[in-house]
Amino acid sequence: MARVALRNLVKRYGDLAVVDRISLDIDHGQLVCLLGPSGCGKTTTLRLIAGFIEPTEGEIQVGERVVSSPARAIEPQLRNMSMIFQSYALWPHMTVMENVAYGLRLRKLDRDVIRDKVRAILNMTKLAEFEDRYPADLSGGQQQRVALARALVVEPETLLLDEPLSNLDANLREEMRFEVRRLHDQYRYTTVYVTHDQAEAMTAADRIVVMNKGRIEQTGTPEEIYRRPRSEFVARFIGGANILRGPSLDARHMRFSGVVLRCGDAEIALNGHAALSIRHHDIRLLGAPPSSAENVVPAKVARQVFLGGMRDYLVETHDGTQLRVVTSAEHSFAPGSAVWLHLPPESCRALVS
Amino acid sequence: MTAAVAAGLPGRLGRVDLSRPVVLLLAAVLCLLIVLPVSWLVYFAFTDRDGLPTFANFAPLFSDPAYTEPMITTLVISVSVGLACAAVAAPMGWLVARTDVPFARTIRSLIMASFVTPPFLGAIAWEILAAPNSGMLNQWYRELTGAPPDQHLFNIYSLTGVIFVIACYTFPYVFVLVANALERIPGELEDASSILGGRAWHTARRITVPLALPALLAGCLVAFLQAMTLFGSPAILALPAGFHTMTTKIWSLFQYPPKPGLAAACSLPLLLLTVVLLRAQHMILGRRSYQVIGGKSGAPRVIRLGPWRWLALAVCLIVLLNPVFLPYLGLVKAAFTHVFSQPLTLKNLTLEHVDFVFFEFSSTRLALKNTFLLGILAATLGSGLALVIAYATARRVVAGYRVLDFFATAPVAIPAIVLGVGLFLAYTRPPFVLYGTLSILLIAFVTIQLPAAYQQLQSAFRAVNPELEEASRILGATRLQALRHITAPLLRSGVIAAWCFIFIGTIRELSAAIMLFTADTKVISVVIFDLNENGHLGPISVLGILMLVITFAVVTLANRLHGSGAWRGQRVTG
Amino acid sequence: MSKSYAKTSLAAIAATALAMLGNPASAAPPEPTKAAPQLIEAAKKEGKVVWYTSVDLPMAEKIAKAFEVKYPGVAVRVERSGAERVFQRIGQEYSSKIYAADAVNSSDAAHFIVWKRDGWLMADVPEDVAKYFPKDQQDPDGMFAAFRVTLSPIGYNTTLVKKEEAPKSFKDLLDPKWSGKIVKAHPSYSGTILTATYQTARDIGWEYFEKLSQQKVMQVQSATDPSKKLSVGERAISADGTEYNLLQLKEKGEPIEIVYPTEGTPLVVGPSGIMKNAPNPNAAKLFNHFLFSVECQQLIVDVGGMRSFHSQVKEKPGRTPLKQIKLMKEDPAAVEKQVEEIKARYTKYFKV
Repeated sequence: MARVALRNLVKRYGDLAVVDRISLDIDHGQLVCLLGPSGCGKTTTLRLIAGFIEPTEGEIQVGERVVSSPARAIEPQLRNMSMIFQSYALWPHMTVMENVAYGLRLRKLDRDVIRDKVRAILNMTKLAEFEDRYPADLSGGQQQRVALARALVVEPETLLLDEPLSNLDANLREEMRFEVRRLHDQYRYTTVYVTHDQAEAMTAADRIVVMNKGRIEQTGTPEEIYRRPRSEFVARFIGGANILRGPSLDARHMRFSGVVLRCGDAEIALNGHAALSIRHHDIRLLGAPPSSAENVVPAKVARQVFLGGMRDYLVETHDGTQLRVVTSAEHSFAPGSAVWLHLPPESCRALVS
Repeated sequence: MTAAVAAGLPGRLGRVDLSRPVVLLLAAVLCLLIVLPVSWLVYFAFTDRDGLPTFANFAPLFSDPAYTEPMITTLVISVSVGLACAAVAAPMGWLVARTDVPFARTIRSLIMASFVTPPFLGAIAWEILAAPNSGMLNQWYRELTGAPPDQHLFNIYSLTGVIFVIACYTFPYVFVLVANALERIPGELEDASSILGGRAWHTARRITVPLALPALLAGCLVAFLQAMTLFGSPAILALPAGFHTMTTKIWSLFQYPPKPGLAAACSLPLLLLTVVLLRAQHMILGRRSYQVIGGKSGAPRVIRLGPWRWLALAVCLIVLLNPVFLPYLGLVKAAFTHVFSQPLTLKNLTLEHVDFVFFEFSSTRLALKNTFLLGILAATLGSGLALVIAYATARRVVAGYRVLDFFATAPVAIPAIVLGVGLFLAYTRPPFVLYGTLSILLIAFVTIQLPAAYQQLQSAFRAVNPELEEASRILGATRLQALRHITAPLLRSGVIAAWCFIFIGTIRELSAAIMLFTADTKVISVVIFDLNENGHLGPISVLGILMLVITFAVVTLANRLHGSGAWRGQRVTG
Repeated sequence: MSKSYAKTSLAAIAATALAMLGNPASAAPPEPTKAAPQLIEAAKKEGKVVWYTSVDLPMAEKIAKAFEVKYPGVAVRVERSGAERVFQRIGQEYSSKIYAADAVNSSDAAHFIVWKRDGWLMADVPEDVAKYFPKDQQDPDGMFAAFRVTLSPIGYNTTLVKKEEAPKSFKDLLDPKWSGKIVKAHPSYSGTILTATYQTARDIGWEYFEKLSQQKVMQVQSATDPSKKLSVGERAISADGTEYNLLQLKEKGEPIEIVYPTEGTPLVVGPSGIMKNAPNPNAAKLFNHFLFSVECQQLIVDVGGMRSFHSQVKEKPGRTPLKQIKLMKEDPAAVEKQVEEIKARYTKYFKV
């Protein structure tokens, strides 16, 4: 079974550790997204898995086989992987047909077998009518599908995708997200998908690995990552969140802007400083103090933007912290007016760091 | 491994990746090509006849007028050529790149023609034109003015003559650099200045000139270096006038009785100065031009000259009289007349030189064969070598790719005549006795041409996204398979251009060939030089015209292939 | 040896010259080589002969052509350069174990002293040399013989210089009125010029050259070139060069005239031989045989404008007979000893 395992993987360029002790297990047939801002080491990790570069430390195992270690790295062509590149990397001097058939020809398969397989995958990806065209004559979406077809036709154990949708326009990108997921559900290759777009990760992934500065910040299902961010970075990067800081009182309470806040789940660190995150739209904005004063923070509206379906507020608490609040479009509070923020305890996530 | 492959498709994939050993081997070859001759050069410069260390070889360079004078002469020539080239090439570059001067493309082609004209051939052509008494121009001058027989307008056998002729065939280097730089200055930059109220002259002075200046300066340095290291033109024009340059001095030190130690000692200053100036050029170009001129913004603004554009065209054509029209005319006349200095009458017309060159002169066939063989081999080997090194460095295939880059670029700093001396010293003794074979000439030509081809192909490689290769590899190709299936076809037009470039460079090379040829390994350039020493200007002209025809044919072919180099519409089977 | 100096006949001078080259202690020369059918066959099998010579290129090619016509199937490749250049090249090639030369001819007879001493020559006495060449004009060991003779006189272009104004002697060339009008060849390139420079310096002194170098002389390389510069009108007077090139042009109708200087005219003997390591030894022998045949010797006299030792060869009418010309004395042994000094001094005066 093609379980992919990264063990304490390190890639250093000079003194800079681009990938810094990453360990990760990807089960057979799973689609894992490496998600993070540019420069977080996600593409380097992917290229380490592909074998284009060799690790400084640690190892990569595919199935029972160690494919990369500082001592020995198996050449990319022997890893039985496929990859879809950010640029698609379609060969401009080959037709669609030739591009797709390339990997099969390298495997010296029968001419007829090659033809049948290529036909099948071109039908699958709705490219049959373009088989004699050159990549330059195709639209972006079509090129993208050729790249997919070319990668899938060789029936890899492992499929690697490097920002595959970043060159498409917004509409097409949304459509292709589902297409990637659909194809994955059909073929069930072990897949590593690199992206900086959280929506893409949410749609496609079985599991998301959030990376930052060469390290893994958090691993989990899309829902876990969203609902229970464990660090400020994850909280901010996924979906956007306010970070509230203050002295910790006990395992469930902290003080913020003169108000005691109760936290829903994870334990607040007891080292004196606490931080919690709350999503923009989880904060309720009230025009008058509510009856229950629990988790209610008074504030003042600093700015308000009408976004059609909703309103985006910037409010400032008494201690000067600015928070973003997204509400329905119905109620409008003018800048300068006093408001009360209700932070439901179940939406307040204590952060580890 | 078996288990893993079994999980995928059946079938076999290539296992052995030879790229690393291949690259290492190349590094060794390059090292040998460059390090060996230079080491011998240094060894000879610092030892006496018995092989004992000494500085004595350098003493005459500072004290003996027979050496100091050529050094001063060389500096004077180089500086003058640098300045003259700038003075001519900068305005022409501006006219062609930024104004609506008519026939700009034709002007470019003509400059290209002077670029590919062998400088020694140009020098001989200018003997025909401007030898003080027999020169055609001086004869016309006397006919027009009725001046007495010993009065002349031009004397090509003079310091000015040498400077003039070298400049004729060096200014294209400056032109290309300046014109390209001017073309790449985005119009916005100048528009921005105009919007801010800068007047045309002000804009030119404060924006355009400073932006093009690095290229001009770099061009001047290239011209300086060309002039300093050229052998043919001074040998043809300076020796009759009774003075030496460094290159002719080095060459004369190899005449009987040969003094290799002194020759090596004379070569080292040229080598050092070249290294220093190339560093300087690199700094000039690296510091300013790239970030500004490398942008991909708007097209340059074309300046309308109005009626003045015809004057501009006339100026360009008058300039081009000197490297192209007049010399070609001189060669044609000398090729088809008994005595070139006599009027063009029916009686004076002849095919005797053609007849002599092709049917009597027993060296012609051998030299042609050698020249073509060397041209083809050097071009093939050189572009192949450049291709692999460019690949290794552009894709950083091995850890030591910087070393490869260094060695592939280094020959640029070795003047051809110095390389000739070094190769001569290196390959006339064990372990590699190559003197007298075509191989030593091949080594020389490949080494000389490698840097240009390498740089050309490296930029071609940079234009090919590495992901194209990686896509091939992850699908099962070895590094060499990826190179063959993907990169090679995409680089084809670049490779063809590099090939032609080396071919042309090789068939016109004289400076190194003159040090290395033997009876069996003569090439056309050497034969022409030989003939010039005997005063056979007619046969030279015939051979020269032949060379030019071949060169232009190759250039045209290269342009044509380059133009159709796009892949669209052509099928390449995997 | 020195007794014959008094005579001015060609034979006597040449005898002196050549006698000095020979080594009297060595064995008798080999049997004369005939153009026997076996030799011709063997030569044809080799198919070619490479001739290193300093004879002016078109003339050399004419000799080659004549040989090829007579012996079809044996191609001659002429490797022509200045004698000093030829000498340097052969030395260079031999020290790198490159044996390309079959037959060699040089206008600097001193070269044969060196080659013979180094054991590079093969003994070969062509039939005609044994029969028609005086014994004192050939090497006693049969290594070489005098293939051609020429002089290095003054020449001028008659359209540029009137006959009565023309210089009569070398010293006349130092007249300021000739400044910028003289062309001369170079002793580092040409054996003819090296030989002539030695004789001139010996007989009238180096001061002559020192002063001549102040005359804005056009410096060409080959001894065959000054006459060409006269004929195109590039310079009015040639201070040296070869008599044969001047004769060729004059007889073609070019406005060229020859002056045999009153101080004496340098005499240049150009021997010929074949190399021991000749890659085509049979063709070399056949070619050597041809070079000394009456046919070839008459050709170099009639067409080439040279002089010959062959007793059957007739001088061409209209040329000044050699015995009417005051000649300088040839001394290859002295040239051989002083070659470096001559070149160095020359370069000192003329800068190149």
